[in-house]
Amino acid sequence: MSEARKIPFRNPGWAGNTGEFDLTEAQVRGDEYVGKRPPEGGHASGASTYPYMLAERDPEAPIFDGPFKERLEKIRSRYPDARSALLPALGMAQELRGYLSPETMEQVAGLLDLSPAYVRGVATFYTMYNKRPVGRFLIQVCTNISCGICGGDDVLQAFLNNTETELGETSEDGNFTVIEAECLAGCGFPTTVQINSRYYENVMPKDVPEILERLKAQGE
Amino acid sequence: MSDQQTPNTVTFTLDGQEVTVPKGTTILRAAESIGIKIPHYCFHPGLSSPAMCRLCLVEVEGWPRMAPSCKETAQDGMVVFTNSELAQKQRTGVLEFYLVNHPLDCPICDQSGECDLQDYVFEEGREHGRGREPKRVLGRDDFGGDVLFNGDRCVMCTRCVRFMREVAEDERLCVVERGNRAVIDTFFEEGLEGSPYAGNIIDICPVGALISKDFLHKARAWDLDRTPSVCPSCSQGCNITLQVRDDLVQRLKPRENLEVNGWWMCDFGRHNYEWMNRTDRTEVPMVRGQEVGWADALGDLLQALKDAKESVKAVTWAHAPNEEMGLLSGLLAELGGGEVVYRSPRTEGEVPLPGFPLLARREDLAPNVNGAEIFGFRRVGDNNSQGGLDELAGHDGVLIVVGDPIEDYGEDFGSKAELYVYLGSYQSKTASNAHFVLPITTFAEQEGTYTNVQGRVQRFWPGVRSPASARPGWLILGALVAELTGTEAPVSADQAFAKIAEKTSEFGGITYRDLGPRGAVAGKPAGVSGD
Repeated sequence: MSEARKIPFRNPGWAGNTGEFDLTEAQVRGDEYVGKRPPEGGHASGASTYPYMLAERDPEAPIFDGPFKERLEKIRSRYPDARSALLPALGMAQELRGYLSPETMEQVAGLLDLSPAYVRGVATFYTMYNKRPVGRFLIQVCTNISCGICGGDDVLQAFLNNTETELGETSEDGNFTVIEAECLAGCGFPTTVQINSRYYENVMPKDVPEILERLKAQGE
Repeated sequence: MSDQQTPNTVTFTLDGQEVTVPKGTTILRAAESIGIKIPHYCFHPGLSSPAMCRLCLVEVEGWPRMAPSCKETAQDGMVVFTNSELAQKQRTGVLEFYLVNHPLDCPICDQSGECDLQDYVFEEGREHGRGREPKRVLGRDDFGGDVLFNGDRCVMCTRCVRFMREVAEDERLCVVERGNRAVIDTFFEEGLEGSPYAGNIIDICPVGALISKDFLHKARAWDLDRTPSVCPSCSQGCNITLQVRDDLVQRLKPRENLEVNGWWMCDFGRHNYEWMNRTDRTEVPMVRGQEVGWADALGDLLQALKDAKESVKAVTWAHAPNEEMGLLSGLLAELGGGEVVYRSPRTEGEVPLPGFPLLARREDLAPNVNGAEIFGFRRVGDNNSQGGLDELAGHDGVLIVVGDPIEDYGEDFGSKAELYVYLGSYQSKTASNAHFVLPITTFAEQEGTYTNVQGRVQRFWPGVRSPASARPGWLILGALVAELTGTEAPVSADQAFAKIAEKTSEFGGITYRDLGPRGAVAGKPAGVSGD
């Protein structure tokens, strides 16, 4: 078996900062397109698809107050019943607070007139809702098939070692939470790592310290 | 069957048999109607069908893939196979998956013996599993109330979640997480405490995932004798099964009756059974303090009743069956009339089951208040079934007590009575002045009927052996009435019922045969109900 045929593949490794990582969102999309985001949302049609992560998330933030209440009403107006508005409502809560605590779930349930148990069932079904506080950078390492056979597990381990955390835990400085992800649809570029909303492709264990340094610098 | 086809029916072929059913009937229900049982978990007749357990899949000729029979309605000309090679193979395969993480702890599982997983695997499962991986372990969770959850045994049929959502309309359960980690839970520490119908999720759980703390390790399912009965805890009269081991009632389970309680019963009734196992019973007939045989006791009593000159007063309770009440009423009529009073506990407010509007825990906490009203008995006493008998306590004529142990009065109860007859199941200090103490059987030990809040007369059967000398109240009262009127005494409960039905228009025209296991309302045709 030692003579097994080697697959002629060589991971080129993470391309490093090709420039786009330093761009702000406004630079990417243009000022006119991004505009100023009102917390109460724009038109109702876009109120539930309003993806952005606030730089500072406050677990105690008042949710669905003032302008956010207005946005929730816009979201609700799009659906025949409150149950349908649950996913965007939870999304909003996570946006503001960073994760969905039992108290948050209960508040959302109260606002939409649903049972807390139902909200918990929904929130735990979807992996993109955080049920625990996460660090400033949520690092999701794909260990599914393509990434898995190209060393995704080693990359995951490298992230854990370098951030000195256990899977799912947040590092002491509050910067990093490393979790395993199922397929991120970057199978052509294993190992794919998603950090907050950005993809890092062709990541190898040796690239990990550099990525983390860069993130740390960004976080300060 | 097929020659009765109308536009509202469909005819299809099921395992080679032609079946005609009303339009909209699912294949699973149609199969049940001709005695073919299709294994299933997630389907329950009282709940919606999510078709998610994948166990009831059947082969339909010409269809590209198998159909969930709990959801798929029968259509004209369909050819369905529930037992083809494909269908059997499918079930065997699904069952193998069900056992991947199942702990197989049947020897210590309370559901063992009445477990659908056990039964199905026994019938169609593989001889041994092929899994080599360690089993996932979720552990146990106390849901509060009477419910204990054992996550490893769960097959994720979500019957409990749907019961709480659709029937109890108190959505406290949910499926937490997904896939392999999925588990039933409440909202964190909320639990099921205070949900008056939560006990039903234990009944509908097809496996041992939800078990009763009250019944935990008390008896094996196959050691229980099951007797159809009627819940005596309120005037709703839910149809139940007495489950008895060693002549002790171990638990009560609801029995299907779509006219009364559906498949459900409340936790209050479910857990109010310990009193059926009381041991402070009257054992032998006593006449003026002397133990005597029944023949002597009845002879003496008859003579004493004939000799008595003073007026008659009687007291009973709303736990007495119709037969006992009717014949007591008949006896008083023969003795020249007299008033019968009864006592019954009562509480404020009903506890309805929102998803099944016929069912509610009623305000009257005794089974036969309606019966007592039909016989014209006067209600006395307070809401705890106490007091109200001061007049009787000092009555100087004939005093007859039937059933009610009158535990709230002192030893001087009936001390002034010319003749005091106590027909009771329990020893009581108020019987100490009784000239005649005659042991009668409890509702769990005899056959009889109760009239529920809807006016429905429902039968119950004996599930527990009585003390050797105790006799049903109707037998004793019936013998006395027969002697006084010179007619034949009733020797069975249906004869006793026939005797009271003659004189009571509310029961007119009903016989035990009409009542059957589901009861009937006088003047209305017997209700059609499920199996």
